[in-house]
Amino acid sequence: MSESLRRALLAKMNKSDSLIQSKRSTNDSTNPISLNNTCPGNLPSWQEFFTQNEQFFINNGSYRFNTYFSLPEPELLLKASKSQSIPIFIFHHGAGSSALSFAPLAQSLQEKLENLCGTFAFDARGHGLTETPDTATFRLGDFVSDFCQILDLFYSRFLRNRFSDRTFSLVLVGHSLGGSICSSAFHEINDQLRQRIVGVAMLDIVEEAAKKALNTVDTFLTKTPNLFPDYTAAIDWHVQKGLSRLKTSAQISIPSLFTPTASGKVVRRTNLQIFRPFWDSWFTGLSSKFVALPTSKLLVLAGDDNLDRELIIGQMQGKFQLVVFQDSGHFIEEDCPSKTAITLIDFWRRNDTKNLVIKTNWTKNGSPISLN
Amino acid sequence: MEIDNDVAMQDATEEPLDPTLDEDASTVAPGASKTPEGSNASGIADHRSSKPLQLDSGNIGQLDQWIEHLSQCQVLSEEDVGRLCKMAVDVLQFEENVQPVNVPVTICGDVHGQFHDLMELFKIGGPCPDTNYLFMGDYVDRGYYSVETVSYLVAMKVRYPKRITILRGNHESRQITQVYGFYDECLRKYGSANVWKMFTDLFDYFPITALVDNKVFCLHGGLSPMIETVDQVRELNRIQEVPHEGPMCDLLWSDPDDRGGWGISPRGAGFTFGQDISEQFNHTNDLSLIARAHQLVMEGYAWSHQQSVVTIFSAPNYCYRCGNQAAIMEFDENHNRQFLQYDPSMRPGEPTVSRKTPDYFL
Repeated sequence: MSESLRRALLAKMNKSDSLIQSKRSTNDSTNPISLNNTCPGNLPSWQEFFTQNEQFFINNGSYRFNTYFSLPEPELLLKASKSQSIPIFIFHHGAGSSALSFAPLAQSLQEKLENLCGTFAFDARGHGLTETPDTATFRLGDFVSDFCQILDLFYSRFLRNRFSDRTFSLVLVGHSLGGSICSSAFHEINDQLRQRIVGVAMLDIVEEAAKKALNTVDTFLTKTPNLFPDYTAAIDWHVQKGLSRLKTSAQISIPSLFTPTASGKVVRRTNLQIFRPFWDSWFTGLSSKFVALPTSKLLVLAGDDNLDRELIIGQMQGKFQLVVFQDSGHFIEEDCPSKTAITLIDFWRRNDTKNLVIKTNWTKNGSPISLN
Repeated sequence: MEIDNDVAMQDATEEPLDPTLDEDASTVAPGASKTPEGSNASGIADHRSSKPLQLDSGNIGQLDQWIEHLSQCQVLSEEDVGRLCKMAVDVLQFEENVQPVNVPVTICGDVHGQFHDLMELFKIGGPCPDTNYLFMGDYVDRGYYSVETVSYLVAMKVRYPKRITILRGNHESRQITQVYGFYDECLRKYGSANVWKMFTDLFDYFPITALVDNKVFCLHGGLSPMIETVDQVRELNRIQEVPHEGPMCDLLWSDPDDRGGWGISPRGAGFTFGQDISEQFNHTNDLSLIARAHQLVMEGYAWSHQQSVVTIFSAPNYCYRCGNQAAIMEFDENHNRQFLQYDPSMRPGEPTVSRKTPDYFL
């Protein structure tokens, strides 16, 4: 994006800030009309994007995780070729977001793969409809441990039976902090499941930039309202700020971040300030960790390629795939669900060696041609 | 293997989110087919000559003036870039897919817009045309002076066509340059994309490989499972945008690997090839060495596959932050190889690397 364009956009954002505030003050006084919009009745529900919504309990039932997923129907699996491995995309959202951030992307994957795939997302601790004890901490290790346990449960409760006579492949996809969680979780996931992982994809996260962002996060938080007159206002604000640029995506992702108050307004579920003591742990060493992952790696960035040193060296040594969506904001999965789906499918196909043979026309056979 | 990048291109236009600079800018799969003669073509190749450009006192004077100007790290006017590119088409279109190169020659890797380091390279290696040079691609993107760098190298190529060879790298592509800086730099320095169009149209004419004294096969990336012989490279139609798969893509994208055989490239384009593959290729084609660039190596050069393959990288402290040395390889009449390593040139007033801070929570 050119500098002038960026400035214009910033100006637009500042303007939208003041718009929101004036709207709020109007509502605070007398405007009753907007109250009609507080119920998200005219907004899409999770059922349009996932087939199941299940609660997963871990830590002796003290943590209840809200999950959404879709799996290929048994009849469809029967019809599909036995030799084909079915991809299951496991998503982890970033801080302050929620599982439904991936709803449009999951839908797009299902469409493009004609439902011959799985998609799985959940609200992390401290987010969305997941319930965690007040004593919960939010270290990187906490999120990683949840992720691994939830994946285990997903396997034992749903995947094992569905795939009793079929192979499946896992692709881990993390947005922002979720990317860091996926990269760290790779080594912690139990062997049986780890062997199924064909790749790790991170969406718009670079260690250096993330650490910088944490230094200036106060500015962001003071500019981020936690209370809106209604869901529509919350959606509009996020769209205007470029935090979810595609209205259709914002309509499913943003309401899940809010809960109605007694007065009919909506308030943010996640208090971003409670994470403050744990930020230090979130991104340290991420870039080198990602580059060194012993699996296929994809990094999708929004806007510029703002790689840090470790990532530039890794990229220039051909260690991972880099894709840049210049027309996307930070929430790539919401801004470009279709393109992200295509990129992920390409990434899965290319790296799932069970589904792939390298064609060669070399005639002389000096040595056996191997895949890996 | 199926890669649906074509679909991606189509799809990219379905979701107009922001006023983007160009609809193709949005997806960056490794490459995309786009005919050079498309409606957006710059016109530099509209009146190609049927015979190679003849140098005379008139155009030599012009070229020398441009080179002098460019060597001060000053860009040419848009009109002059147009003239230069038209002349370059009439030089490059007559080169071969496997361009023969004589010894002695100094072989260089990625430059990536690091103009001052390119000047340092010529100081270390000796001035052109006294020294013959072979560059293996990636002149643009990432560095701050892609326009000056590629203008300078193209001007040198036109002025001394037998003394300098410039191959195509994976960054000499419309799609890649829209993401990694060259497009934005052209907009910034010229106020329009015209110069970018001219150069990217010109890139289609760059040769893709070179053969030094029939013994050293030089190219940007590496080998292809669809190219067993050097003759098969000669059969390719190279005058096109770098495709996102197939032999031409592989030659510009592949990397050598410690694992044997062919492998999936982690880059998402091209392949990895093992020592068995390199040795077989060199044996089949009676070669002594494959010289390539494409990968950052901290010492500026690195051997692999028991000296069947050498990687040369000529952008020191890549991106002004990687801390690597650069190198070039001198290859003499007796086929002796000598590497010359160098560090970043010192220069005042270098723009500091500034990166915007994200304006979102994580």
